[in-house]
Order: sequence, then C-alpha cells, then structure tokens
Amino acid sequence: MGASTKPRLSGMQLQVLALYRGFLRAARMKSPEERSRIEALVSQEFRRNSSQVDRKNYLYIEYLVRRGKKQLDQLKSPETVGLASLNVEASQAKTS
Amino acid sequence: MWRAWLKGGSKQVAKFSTKSEAKKGGFPILQGHPAAEQHAEEVVESQHNIQRNVNNQKKEFKIYRWSPNHPHQKPFLQSFFLDLSSCGPMVLDALQKIKSEDDSSLTYRRSCREGICGSCAMNIDGTNTVACRKPIDSDTSTATVITPLPHMYVIKDLVVDLTHFYHQYKLIEPWLKTKKPPPGGKEYRQSTAERWRLDGLYECILCACCSTSCPSYWWNPEEFLGPAALLHAYRWISDSRDDFGDERLQALTDKEVRLYRCRTIKNCTATCPKSLNPANAINKMKAKHRFARPSEKSDNEDQRA
Repeated sequence: MGASTKPRLSGMQLQVLALYRGFLRAARMKSPEERSRIEALVSQEFRRNSSQVDRKNYLYIEYLVRRGKKQLDQLKSPETVGLASLNVEASQAKTS
Repeated sequence: MWRAWLKGGSKQVAKFSTKSEAKKGGFPILQGHPAAEQHAEEVVESQHNIQRNVNNQKKEFKIYRWSPNHPHQKPFLQSFFLDLSSCGPMVLDALQKIKSEDDSSLTYRRSCREGICGSCAMNIDGTNTVACRKPIDSDTSTATVITPLPHMYVIKDLVVDLTHFYHQYKLIEPWLKTKKPPPGGKEYRQSTAERWRLDGLYECILCACCSTSCPSYWWNPEEFLGPAALLHAYRWISDSRDDFGDERLQALTDKEVRLYRCRTIKNCTATCPKSLNPANAINKMKAKHRFARPSEKSDNEDQRA
C-alpha cells in the first residue's frame, strides 16, 4: 500500500517507553541470570498493564509511571542485586 | 511564716477568680504567645458549642477518596457522619474515629498528634493545616471538606507525594558549614541576640502547607524552591555560627528562578500552622541580595568623595 507513517506517540506514551528502556538498561548492569529475570518480570508487567489499563485513564497511568520511576531509581543503585516478585492471588476457600 | 500563709491564701482566692476566666479563654500559661492563645480559644469555644447541642446532631465530613487499587474509579468526595460529642476536638481525632468505626481503608499520614511532626498536613475547608491542630467546626449545618494538599500528586486518599519537596530542602544544604574548628575545641558559641535571630525560623516542621498554598509553587514546582525551603535557607544564612552565609545566598540567587519566582502572594504566611512568616524571610533574603551587590553608582560616589 502507501508509505506507512509511524503513529505519533503522545507525551505519556513516550514516558512509558522511556521508563521501559530505563529498566532494560538497568538490567544490563546486573549479572546475566538476574538480567534475564528482570527483563522477564518487567516486560510481563508492562504488557499486562498495556492490555488491562484503559488508554484514557491518565490518573492511573501517571501513578504507575511515578511508581515505576521510583522502582527504577532503586534498581539502578549498585547495591541492588536483583528483582523478585510475589504473586498474591485472592483464592476463595471453597466449602464442599 | 504567717507571711507565706497569707501569700498562699491570696493565691487560693486568685485561683477561684481566674477559673471562670480560664473557661472564657484566658490562658495564663500561654501569655506572650498570641497565636497559641487564639488557637486555644477557638478549641474551647468549639467544645462548648458541641456540649451545648444536646440533640447530638451528626457532623458531615466529605473526604477525598482515590485508590490505585481501584483504578477505574475516579476520585470522589465520600460523606461520613460523625457524632461530635463522642470524638476528640481535632480533625485528626475525627479521621481516626472514622477509620476505626466506619471505613478502615481511609488512608492518611499521622504521627505525633500535637502539631510538631507535620505528617498530617492536608487541606481542611480550603486551608492547608495540620489536622491534629485544627479544631472541628462545630456548626453541623455545613459539611467539612477534607482534601489532600493542593497541586500535589496523590498516592492514595489523603496521602501525597512529597519527594520533590524534600529534595528541594536537601538542595539548600541544611547543615552547619564552618571554616574553622570550634574555639577551645568544644562548641560554637552564640550570644543571646544572635540566637534570637533564629526565632521564627527554626520552628518550621516541614509540613509543606506553605509551599502547597503558593500559586507560584503550583506553576513552577521544579524550579522555584518554595517558601518552606527558602525559610530554612534563611535560617542557615542568619545563623551566626555558619561561615558560608554569602555562598549560600549566592547559590540561591545564581539561578534567579530559585528565589525570585516569589511574587509576595503571602499565602504561605496566612496558612502556616505554626504561625511562621516565610514571606518575611524571603523578602529579607531578596533585600540582602540586592543591597549586598556593589553597584557602579556607589563606586563613583566614593571616588568623588
């Protein structure tokens, strides 16, 4: 078809992408097995939020970006060795 | 001996006469502190109003709610009804009661409950104060609206992100910087007059009420330091034990935006819960900066004379 022009990304989208890039760069500084773990966790989180969170929900997106920036600052410091996450599933007790 | 008994007796009589005064609002222990006296009178008056209303009407509190755990819900004002006679006099007591009895998901910061830590700073009925020092308005016909500090990012309900505010405080280097070791190796001495200069500056509790009430700070939070940080900067400049006063002032005014974004709006002085005067401190720093610079005019006059 015709020449495909890249869609112009909004300021908020650029912020999210910059944050993602920051996480991947920080992961590069850590040990190889930690790096793969960090990359897996971060990409999983970002992909989940991109599908679940409404595009117009600016309040929540800004909140997530701010939280991510703080977590990135912690990860960037040389003392931090790695990243881990805990899955808390609200399991309802079924009585048979 | 009988003289001492007479004195004691007259004191007893004086006690009976001043008891009624105390009920009205005379607080002998607070003499010389007009702001504290006024505040104490307000509290006593509101408590009297509450005790007079025997029908126990409930007071409505409209509190700002937003939780990141429910991202699809927009922020809203939730109404709580509270019986004032069963609750302490201050807004923080009301919040504690609501949290313990009505809705335990209500989130707010609090620590000392006496107005010294600055944690519970929030916007109550349009004014920024610390909740533990603001008496509940006993008029039950209108609701009290409680919202977080204005123009700040909200983390949850009434909790607000103050990292940038603390970063700005760190920027002014709020510690003693000296060029020489202390005389005699013991401590840096200071006369009473020099210590008086710090009165009205050191009491700042960093509650962020003033900075978040300044429109200049709303529109330029990244550049303008805000009245709280500037008050502390002036506290260190005017400390006689600190040798780097000129350098501190220069660091502030090198980038003009840091100090000169102040337009003397004076919202900071009006809202300070400790009755301090940041606007005054900022004006003094501006004056110090302008008059300390040698201008060409004065040099010519010296040469002529």
